[in-house]
Amino acid sequence: MKIRNYWNLRDWGAGIWERSGRPARVLIALTTIFLVSLLPFAGASFLATPIAAYDAVLVYPVAVFVLMALGLNIVVGKSGMLDLGYVAFFAIGAYTMAIMGTTTSLNTWEIMPFGIAFAMIAGVILGLPTLRLRGDYLAIVTLGFGEIVRLVLLNSSWSKGPNGIANVPMPPDIGPLKFKLDDQKVFFWVVLIMILLTIWMIRRLSVRRPGRAWEAIRQDEDAAELMGVATLKYKIWSFTLGAAIGGAAGVLYASKNLFIAPEMFTLNVSILILACVVFGGIGNIWGVIVGAVILGYLPDRIRFISDARLLVFGLVLVIVMNFRPDGLLPRKKREKAIVKKGAI
Amino acid sequence: MAKVLLSLENLTMKFGGVTALNEVNLEIREGEILALIGPNGAGKTTVFNVITGVYQATSGSINFNGQKIGGKKRFQITGLGIARTFQNIRLFGDMTTLENVITATDVHKKSGLVSSLFGTPRARREEREHRAKAHEILQFIGIDEYSDRLARNLPYGVQRRLEIARALGTSPKLLLLDEPAAGFNPQEKVELAATIKKVRDAGYTVLLIEHDMSLIMGISDRVVVLDFGTKIADGSPADVQNDPRVIEAYLGVPADAS
Repeated sequence: MKIRNYWNLRDWGAGIWERSGRPARVLIALTTIFLVSLLPFAGASFLATPIAAYDAVLVYPVAVFVLMALGLNIVVGKSGMLDLGYVAFFAIGAYTMAIMGTTTSLNTWEIMPFGIAFAMIAGVILGLPTLRLRGDYLAIVTLGFGEIVRLVLLNSSWSKGPNGIANVPMPPDIGPLKFKLDDQKVFFWVVLIMILLTIWMIRRLSVRRPGRAWEAIRQDEDAAELMGVATLKYKIWSFTLGAAIGGAAGVLYASKNLFIAPEMFTLNVSILILACVVFGGIGNIWGVIVGAVILGYLPDRIRFISDARLLVFGLVLVIVMNFRPDGLLPRKKREKAIVKKGAI
Repeated sequence: MAKVLLSLENLTMKFGGVTALNEVNLEIREGEILALIGPNGAGKTTVFNVITGVYQATSGSINFNGQKIGGKKRFQITGLGIARTFQNIRLFGDMTTLENVITATDVHKKSGLVSSLFGTPRARREEREHRAKAHEILQFIGIDEYSDRLARNLPYGVQRRLEIARALGTSPKLLLLDEPAAGFNPQEKVELAATIKKVRDAGYTVLLIEHDMSLIMGISDRVVVLDFGTKIADGSPADVQNDPRVIEAYLGVPADAS
């Protein structure tokens, strides 16, 4: 169908990318990064969000959602494991930042590795016993894990229970770039850098052994294991990498928000991030990014209609999923090897 | 006589009250094509599943190349050199033909996730080598022209051959083929027989489940017959064909004889 091809943005974009030589690709990538990094300056245009501060919205939810959706996509999209407790890793990162930031003299960048490490450890601890489960059973266990983490934070004294932790320090300034509450451009750029690192990591892994292992596990786990894929090991890797990205997002979120409490880490967040992945196009990083941008941005853009905004939000979800059940930019189904051209 | 590559000793497999395999003894020698036949439900695929670690045998032992493999994980058994195909095709449909084979060759890679991420020289070299090796296998099986096609869009016959190519990707010593000719027309069966012989001549040992008697009689060195989980015959194709117990298992006993 001609009309359908005309609207196939994914293949259109991939086509341009494939026809370009290396210099053109570098140019496209750099231009895109440059334009995206200018986004915080576009606050006066039609993009402006009423009521909420535009540059703050760009950081959270938009950029942080993109980061988390990319992380969750490794687990759900690449390796096909339904994780409904992703918020747990976000919470672990955020609480690591809050507790270490208020009790030690370490700054955000020094706490970041701890936040990532703790999230990864949690990923392994949860993964080792549960990743033998499949499908719905795994979803139920992860759902429970997400709730357990929240309830522990709510009921423990070290996490200050329902009061939450206030006065989380902001990151130290990077030269002339200052982190300020009323001007969050620098935060946006920091999250952008983390998003770029994540994209790099996923693209690297996708064309090599781990990507193939995940892909094989997603399609037929038994056949994959019989073809020599160490399935449990790669499932745990996938889970742990997703956890690491969630943890990193949590550290930044706590440092940006200055205050965190257990009620910020409810099941809703897990579901919303999963919605970003499914809405954008499960398994396709560009689709996931588009999905997270739209679902992060839309509720704040239409905030002026107050109570009706959740209705509109839900309607948009229903309508889009009806017309594009595989998401806005679905996983590629074109006939081209995921193995890199020209033998790397 | 060639060395024994795989031996099953008194292998019994029970599913609850059902005995799928009953004290089966079986030896496969290096470089032979051994056919495993028997009526439906005789336990042929169960033998494959026990060898490859899908099921743990109730009792008995499996020795492969001087090692006991009972209790090992499935991917470890594959790593030791046993690869299989599936009766109902189970390719990775969303991957290309080439990727299907490379996924299998990955079992012998030394580089893992971290070196893949940072693109260490070894990881890059291995990636190159495995790509070349996968193409080699596809050429050997004769389907290299399909290497960039998605597996699920391939014609049926090519999918069956890709199953064999993918299994060869793991560099097995022993290749288990589960009804590789299912659904083939006579011409395709002849071609497949040639391919299986070629695989054996390249140094692989083949254990084959098949229903097509002319194919089996044409290529196998030895035939083992299972019936209701028990081995009832083991010998050259000609001997087995004339064995009264085999005829009985397949055709039943004449009414006046019983």
